[in-house]
Amino acid sequence: MLLEIENLHVSVNNTAIIKGLNLSIGAGEVHAIMGPNGSGKSTLAQTLVGRDDYNITSGSIHYENKDISDMEADERARAGMFLSFQYPIEIPGVTNVYLLKAALNARRKALGKPEIDAVEFMRFVKEKAALMEIDQKFLSRGVNEGFSGGEKKRNEIFQMAVLEPTLAILDETDSGLDIDALKVVANGVNQQRSPERAFLLITHYQRLLDYIKPDFVHVLADGKIIRSGDKSLALELEEHGYDDVLRAAAG
Amino acid sequence: MNLANMRAAQDNATNALNSIWERNHAAQNDWLRNRQTSALESFNQQGFPNKHLEDWRYTDLRELAEHYPLWLENSDTARLDSASTDIPQTLDISDATRIVFINGVFRPELSDALPDGLFAGSTEELAIAHPKLVQQHWGRLASDADSGMVSLNSAFANASVALTVADGAQLTKPIYVQFAGTLENSITHPRLFVDLGENSTAELIEHYSSSASCIVNAVTEISCGENAHLKYYKLQEEHPSGWHTAVQYIHAARNSNIKTAHIDLGARLSRNDLKISLQGESAHVDSDGVFIADGQRHVESRITVNHMAPHTTSRERFRSILADNARGVFNGRIYVDECAQKTNAQLSNRNLLLSPGAEINTKPELEIYADDVKCAHGSTTGQLDTNALFYLLSRGIPEKNARDLLIMAFASELVTELEIGSVSEKIQQALRRLGTSLGATN
Repeated sequence: MLLEIENLHVSVNNTAIIKGLNLSIGAGEVHAIMGPNGSGKSTLAQTLVGRDDYNITSGSIHYENKDISDMEADERARAGMFLSFQYPIEIPGVTNVYLLKAALNARRKALGKPEIDAVEFMRFVKEKAALMEIDQKFLSRGVNEGFSGGEKKRNEIFQMAVLEPTLAILDETDSGLDIDALKVVANGVNQQRSPERAFLLITHYQRLLDYIKPDFVHVLADGKIIRSGDKSLALELEEHGYDDVLRAAAG
Repeated sequence: MNLANMRAAQDNATNALNSIWERNHAAQNDWLRNRQTSALESFNQQGFPNKHLEDWRYTDLRELAEHYPLWLENSDTARLDSASTDIPQTLDISDATRIVFINGVFRPELSDALPDGLFAGSTEELAIAHPKLVQQHWGRLASDADSGMVSLNSAFANASVALTVADGAQLTKPIYVQFAGTLENSITHPRLFVDLGENSTAELIEHYSSSASCIVNAVTEISCGENAHLKYYKLQEEHPSGWHTAVQYIHAARNSNIKTAHIDLGARLSRNDLKISLQGESAHVDSDGVFIADGQRHVESRITVNHMAPHTTSRERFRSILADNARGVFNGRIYVDECAQKTNAQLSNRNLLLSPGAEINTKPELEIYADDVKCAHGSTTGQLDTNALFYLLSRGIPEKNARDLLIMAFASELVTELEIGSVSEKIQQALRRLGTSLGATN
């Protein structure tokens, strides 16, 4: 298994949010986690990538068969984990291209590869930017500085395309996107699908799953996965809402 | 030190300074000697600046009483001549006229040939070679009564630079003046004046660096004629156990356009006071400042812009980055005279505190007597943004690099606009050192 989460409990500011979550993700798989607001979806995403104010009170997370609870966020990223933020941060004064180069070289170093050649880097970045329909002049602007909501989300997937992670976690990447932007984002993700790379899509709506077809769908409620299935589960949720599933689980 | 002891120390220092002047510094030239005598009298009345003076509230220099006479005595000709001529820091500025002073002594052998209108040497030489010029400009803008430090400079000024640019003349090369300190426990008193004629252009860079503990007490006076263009930059990277105080007076005539930048990176204590007066209609100044300190260091940066005529405009941007137990002081003052209608002034100050022990005292002030003006001031103080830090970490950038990036980003808006040789790189180096020292204490 690429990612193995067992009986995970997570607290934020002493409030339990994740309460006994189990999830296994194999290489090449695409998993979707759906759930009502406040069910713990974003907490799970932040915990996986090592946000330090998210405390694992019990249970474990194994990534590539290694317990990652002691790994810092930057180590996890260099090991191939990537989070597309629900609310990407603006960092004026740090250019997109500088961030990408620093991040890519940090990842390459961890893989024992030399720093990327400057010409090769620009060629590679421009190719990925074109794929995500990102204007090249954005590259020399501050990270997400003055970007619209949709541009920020596209920029996240663009970063993912450049960094080529092993496990990509997309936290509500679809929210706030119009249909055209959603297609661009989905296309970026689909292009990245490979037998080695896994995705965890966190979403509120089934709409994204029309464009990115998941292998597995899970329903998260009150910090636990209460039901798992294939992509037909997403359609069922779309049709009947979360209430039926929640009621069935409670019953 | 109790009050009585402190007073006694001040009196002793004053007496000692007067007798050192008598023995070693009294000029042969009559005009200069008279000038020195009145400056000393002014110092005798004022003493070293102390915190009871409004302008010196956060930077009390009475501690200098302990060092000033000894170090001044130490700066004698024999010692100065035998001091090292290894310049600690140099800015790589292509195509500049480079002027080098080491421990206050002009070094023609290390300098470029002086173009017409530029003098560099001792103050006595200046007074003898250009009596009219010196009598006209020396102290035209600076007053000994402004502070004990200005009066000490007038009494002991040894390193002189005078630049006059004729009407309509364009200085194609920047004038790059280096004041390097290499003699332990010595004092340099640089004194500069610049007179820009109408429609003239000039660029001046003052660069201070030292490899030993020194005191530098500098005064610069600049007059810009009508429609003149001036770029003035000052970079201070003194030895971490040195003192640096400096004041610049700039007068701007009608339509003149001035750009200044002040970068303070060194010294245990530094204080820079920039006083700009927009005297003529439509004169404009852009002033930037970046000051960086760590350890126990103290750095004060002051700017005053007096809008004395209609349609004058100014923009001031000052940034500080402070780590460890460093203390920063910023004072920015915009004064708008009654007659200065249609003034537009924008003052911003932002401060980044990297450690719980770091401290900034910031005071932006507006004093406005005209009724049709646009003035704004703002000041913010904060720490590194933890969300931004996490974002960078989540991209695999190691924490140390991520912090450096964010610290750099804080000053980048100003730094990227500084097209003065390698100065941006110097600032980045200083910021990296800051990051490193933090890494060690965390």
